[in-house]
Amino acid sequence: MKAPLALLTLALSNVALGTDFDRELRPLLQTHCIECHGPKKQKGELRLDAKIHAFKGGHDGPAIVPGRPGESPLYQRIASPDPDERMPPKGDGLKPAEIAILKSWIESGAFWPESETDRAANVDNRSEHWAVQPIRKDFPANASIDAFIDAKLRENGLTMSSEADARTLSRRLHFDLIGLPPTLSASSYEELVNELLASPHYGERWARHWLDIAHYADTHGFERDQLRPNAWRYRDYVIASLNADKPYDQFLREQIAGDVIAPHDPQAIIATGFLAAGPWDFVGQVETRSDLLRRAARAGDLDDMVTQVITSTMGITINCARCHDHKLDPITQQEYYSLWSVFAGVKRGERDVNPSEAKRLAEEESRLNSELARKRSRIAQLAGEGFPLANVLPEDSGIDLRNGSLTKTKLGYHRDIQVNRLQKVPDVPVVKWVFVPDGKGEVAVDFKRSVSGVPPSSGHFWDTIANRPLNAQRTTKLGDVDYTSTDHSMLAMHANSAITFDLAKLREQTGHTAMRLMALVGFGASTDAAATLADFTVFVDTEMKFQKLKLRKDQTAPLDVEVPATATTLTLIATDGGDGIGNDLLFLGDPKLVPATNDSQLSEAEVTELASLRAEVDKLESALKSLPAPPKVYAIVPEAHPPVIRVQRRGNPEDEAGEVVPGAFSWAKHAAATFGDQTMPEAQRRIALAQWITHPENPLTARVIVNRLWHHHFGQGLVNTPSDFGMGGGQPSHPELLDYLASELIRHGWSLKHIHRLIVMSAAYRQSSAGSVQSARLDGSNRLLWRQNPRRLDAESLRDAVLAVSGKLNPESGGPGFRDFQYTEAYAPIYEYITPDRAELWKRSIYRFIVRTTPHRFMSTLDCPDPANLTPARMQTTTALQALTLSNNEFMLRQARYLATRIENAAPDTPGRIHRAFDLCFQRAPNPDELRAAQSLVTEQNLFALCRMLLNANEFVYLD
Amino acid sequence: MNLPTRRNLLQSFTGTALATMLHREAQATANPLAPKIGHHPARAKAVIQIFCPGGLSHVDTWDYKPELAKRQGQPFDPDGKLQFFASKPGNCQGSWWPFRQHGQCGRWISDLFPKLAQRVDDMAFIHSMQSKSALHGPAMFMANSGFILPGFPSMGSWVTYGLGSVSEDLPAFVVLPDPRGLPPGGVINWGAGFLPAIHQGTTLNTDPEQPPIADLFPQKDFAHLKGVSEQSSRAFLQTLNRTHAAGRQENTELAARIAAYELAARLQLSAPEATDLRGETDATKKLYDLEHEDIGPFGRQCLLARRLIERGVRFVQIYCGAENTTAKKVRPNWDSHEDLVRDHGYWGPILDTGAAALLTDLKSRGLLDSTLVICTTEFGRQPAAQGAGKGRDHNPGAFTAWMAGGGIQGGTAYGTTDALGFKAEENPAYCYDLHATALHLLGLNHENLTFYNDGIDRRLTDVHGHVIQEIVT
Repeated sequence: MKAPLALLTLALSNVALGTDFDRELRPLLQTHCIECHGPKKQKGELRLDAKIHAFKGGHDGPAIVPGRPGESPLYQRIASPDPDERMPPKGDGLKPAEIAILKSWIESGAFWPESETDRAANVDNRSEHWAVQPIRKDFPANASIDAFIDAKLRENGLTMSSEADARTLSRRLHFDLIGLPPTLSASSYEELVNELLASPHYGERWARHWLDIAHYADTHGFERDQLRPNAWRYRDYVIASLNADKPYDQFLREQIAGDVIAPHDPQAIIATGFLAAGPWDFVGQVETRSDLLRRAARAGDLDDMVTQVITSTMGITINCARCHDHKLDPITQQEYYSLWSVFAGVKRGERDVNPSEAKRLAEEESRLNSELARKRSRIAQLAGEGFPLANVLPEDSGIDLRNGSLTKTKLGYHRDIQVNRLQKVPDVPVVKWVFVPDGKGEVAVDFKRSVSGVPPSSGHFWDTIANRPLNAQRTTKLGDVDYTSTDHSMLAMHANSAITFDLAKLREQTGHTAMRLMALVGFGASTDAAATLADFTVFVDTEMKFQKLKLRKDQTAPLDVEVPATATTLTLIATDGGDGIGNDLLFLGDPKLVPATNDSQLSEAEVTELASLRAEVDKLESALKSLPAPPKVYAIVPEAHPPVIRVQRRGNPEDEAGEVVPGAFSWAKHAAATFGDQTMPEAQRRIALAQWITHPENPLTARVIVNRLWHHHFGQGLVNTPSDFGMGGGQPSHPELLDYLASELIRHGWSLKHIHRLIVMSAAYRQSSAGSVQSARLDGSNRLLWRQNPRRLDAESLRDAVLAVSGKLNPESGGPGFRDFQYTEAYAPIYEYITPDRAELWKRSIYRFIVRTTPHRFMSTLDCPDPANLTPARMQTTTALQALTLSNNEFMLRQARYLATRIENAAPDTPGRIHRAFDLCFQRAPNPDELRAAQSLVTEQNLFALCRMLLNANEFVYLD
Repeated sequence: MNLPTRRNLLQSFTGTALATMLHREAQATANPLAPKIGHHPARAKAVIQIFCPGGLSHVDTWDYKPELAKRQGQPFDPDGKLQFFASKPGNCQGSWWPFRQHGQCGRWISDLFPKLAQRVDDMAFIHSMQSKSALHGPAMFMANSGFILPGFPSMGSWVTYGLGSVSEDLPAFVVLPDPRGLPPGGVINWGAGFLPAIHQGTTLNTDPEQPPIADLFPQKDFAHLKGVSEQSSRAFLQTLNRTHAAGRQENTELAARIAAYELAARLQLSAPEATDLRGETDATKKLYDLEHEDIGPFGRQCLLARRLIERGVRFVQIYCGAENTTAKKVRPNWDSHEDLVRDHGYWGPILDTGAAALLTDLKSRGLLDSTLVICTTEFGRQPAAQGAGKGRDHNPGAFTAWMAGGGIQGGTAYGTTDALGFKAEENPAYCYDLHATALHLLGLNHENLTFYNDGIDRRLTDVHGHVIQEIVT
């Protein structure tokens, strides 16, 4: 009896003190404030409908400071004379008497007695949410999909439909499991299931679903939508992993932290392409000079990464907690930023797939290069003294490209220099002129003659053309030869620069007539500087004699150019490789003009040595050429010590609050949500997250993936918001079934194929999709699955099906994406689609090179999603533009023509051909009416007209 | 919208309300483009939006800054603390064109726009516009969709989602890109994001030599496919489809797809008719200066916009400028970093002629009252010169947008920038406010026009936006 008494006492005292509040304050707040600061809206993050919220305050901190109305924003805003400040914003504000009540209530301590509503608000029932409860695992041995479905149907007075016919089932199963029309015929349904699950096309089909939620594409997106030529390796990884039925938990761990879990496994490194799959803004990340803009771009980058990882694996809309605590789910802003901290050391970029192999190749290349340099230097000695070209410039001098004068001073960055203007160099007669090439059109190498083929460049330039190291040059060695040492020389030409020599004058100086220009081209940049590319081109008169494009900083290129006796000019051109001029410290090591034939003056032994040296050089050169480029992938480039992450108020990178440590969110209670402190190494952070996500007790990961599989097999998930299992998402139509599948997944070593098999073998899956007026009245949207759902082919399946029936599908798998567009390099690259009418463009749609900013019109008209978005479920629309595209697009028409040829060859007469066409497109024979109509169409027009319309038919596009 | 939202359909699967609820969900599949009633009576029925990509300079055009002219040549940022997108600020640079007062309202407009200046009493200016990005791509996305990231529906998509279309034979949302090419960010600028694809903008080819809509007719090798043979092919297809649908009557999508082929056939007639300018009078053609080599193409875009609106198209977006592609003599859009006189000097008469002609033409046909005309850009330009040159760098802190027609109080202005035009000062505004105002005039409440996507009921205006009552009649 003690407790009730205590309660009674408390209640009495509340009444005594709280009369004012409940009679006067609460109604006042209710009338004037709750509309914008209540359960529906929380302007300024403030709620005044319950005590706990009111005292917590809003975005600007506490709204009520008991005892101090002057410091309480609630009072200040209500009493403000300034109409822009005053609350409520509409109307003339509160009456003076009401304001006085509020003031005296705060003055007297702001006592707020708890009502039912207040008490209810104290309990956070969100921890009871179904999706964060442990997965039920104790299912009886005879539990099955059909038992769960049947039970729910019976409860609602419904029954399952009968099994669909064999043709329908075969079509459904083929498109579901491999995304292609039926070609296989198996002795039984089960055997067909097994064959299709074992088909390599299975991975091609299901990788598409995964890439949709990874928002994968082969370009960066945004304004300068540049290529990611090595992104495809990640796409192939997904296909291979699914085909191998890699355990799903391992599949996830590799994609989040493969590079640190298995640093020597190329596939594990490629897997992290997942983290880099989304869009990335080159202009904001690299090009702009504004740090503020860079921070904003980086913030968008981290948000994208965190959102993708958490929504795809756990179906939680984590990004809703970026600017404030999640409005629906109990996830704090702090927790959101702790996930940033996990990825704080991760940037997107090109990465060696096999670091040790890449290292070996680089070492081998450098070894071959230095051996070559040694041999060449000996050849130069033997073959004649050679005239050091660099010596035409006075010692330690450089040519200023702006005015052609000589300078001993080192200069800096020239961005405003006029491009392609031939600048004479009065003090050096053998130099006809120098200029800055921009390569955007023809480049003049003479006042009357222009050449093409010079790569486009920024038109900017650094320092001078000089016979000494340039400003900021870090090394003068190529291989192991230092070109500033005795008996060596160098000619430094930073991109973008060009120099033209007067050959008549050079002949006077050298005494040679026919000559060769020999040198080694390389970089004087620091090895730890950023990766950089440059090009080097040589013209003799207007003939291009040498060109090395996109020379890497760690490479060299031997130059050996014939300069005939009749030639008049020699032009050397250094350009920036298209990535700006940073670190493009090109120079020529030992540039020498050697007489074309000089062997006669040598001793016999020397002639022999020379011959063997030349043979060795040839061998070395071909060894160098045959060195494979180390394979790369567009994935992540981690840094060991990530920067500290702070909460960003309102998601504003310029308004930072407290530090956060690496972690996740505590709503899912299966494991600790804090991973470590600021000293935690980058690698450990991602491993911790990967383990947290794939923890066998994680309530979300397994449920989310089995629901995704269900979604694709039935056209809707048991939870029909496949990427939102939070409070705002859908409820499962069959909660136990969802748990049954999730527990089956874990019990069977996270085998996805096991779940596929369970689903497609079920009677529920094999039902007919025919409608029933009665059942539709009870469950029109078929959430309870009294039938299978009819579905339309998605864009990729439709395109693949067209190619399959026309006989043109190229079955080749893997490799770089096929590019059914013309690509023009420009500030913002231009992608112009072409009609795919070649075998290499007839591969399956999964192998398409996906351009973000220029979506493929044919595909997006058919609802192929924008890869800017994470797409858990394809939208499906029916539009006139689709009708136009499928009937008139050149790709469709050409494929219809191929199909016509195919069926023409398949049978001797029209009825036979029509039968073949129906069989290919619909896997059935035409009925007599259809046959008559088709025959008259063929007679009146031709087989092509028939084929074109069959490819447009609803029966071709829909699955029953 | 009044359709049942996904969320309230999903409360629970137990209890007696189940059957009713599921039935309601099934009914929610109607023609998504059927005309819909808005939230309140509309002032405008249609929108023509002119977008000037690259960053139109407010201080040389709409936003009169005498103080800037007074400080001509003085350092803009004496402390050297500012860093713009591509440069350090140079000296103060007054407008390259003199300003004059115009119309009854006496608003100041620079001499770059002499024809629009005569229409100033129809126009309302928002001088305090700002953007959240100084980069073309994100700022374009923001101006169009309210978000600096790609993947969100553009305003035109939201409007057709909210209101449908009264035209059965033409797309509801039509985009007329600059003939020089697509704007920064490309077709994503008129994408439907997560809305159904039917709401994405349909690009109309503005080249009179090309069919107006891609795949409207078979091309090249197949150009002979037209006339009677097409009709009989289609008749065969529809017979096939109807037989197929007969056994599947509950699948309304099949009927919708049959109807789509009928609509496609009508589009083959209506689209060429809508884009055929031969019926226009010489006076109209002259008004839009169609024969002029540089001005003509944009005039054609504006005239096409009027014809589309007349035929019931809900939202037309016109681009006055393309992407920064390979450098030509003149920048392909308003992004005047090096030489503002050259580039704005080129684009000015183009916008001036086309937009003024559009306002005049709409008014004389009595269409201006029901058509909201909007002219926007993604950000403004700096009051300082770019370095020592004749250009200006990006300025996300201030720019001007204007509106005219349906429900707009002409001759007014909202918001101001500081004395130099560097930052919005009084009543700072974002695209959210412009969008909220446009939706309001169309009869839509921007807070109630929502679509559920990945955990959140999304809006065009995110969690922001106020209707700018000051410029509404």
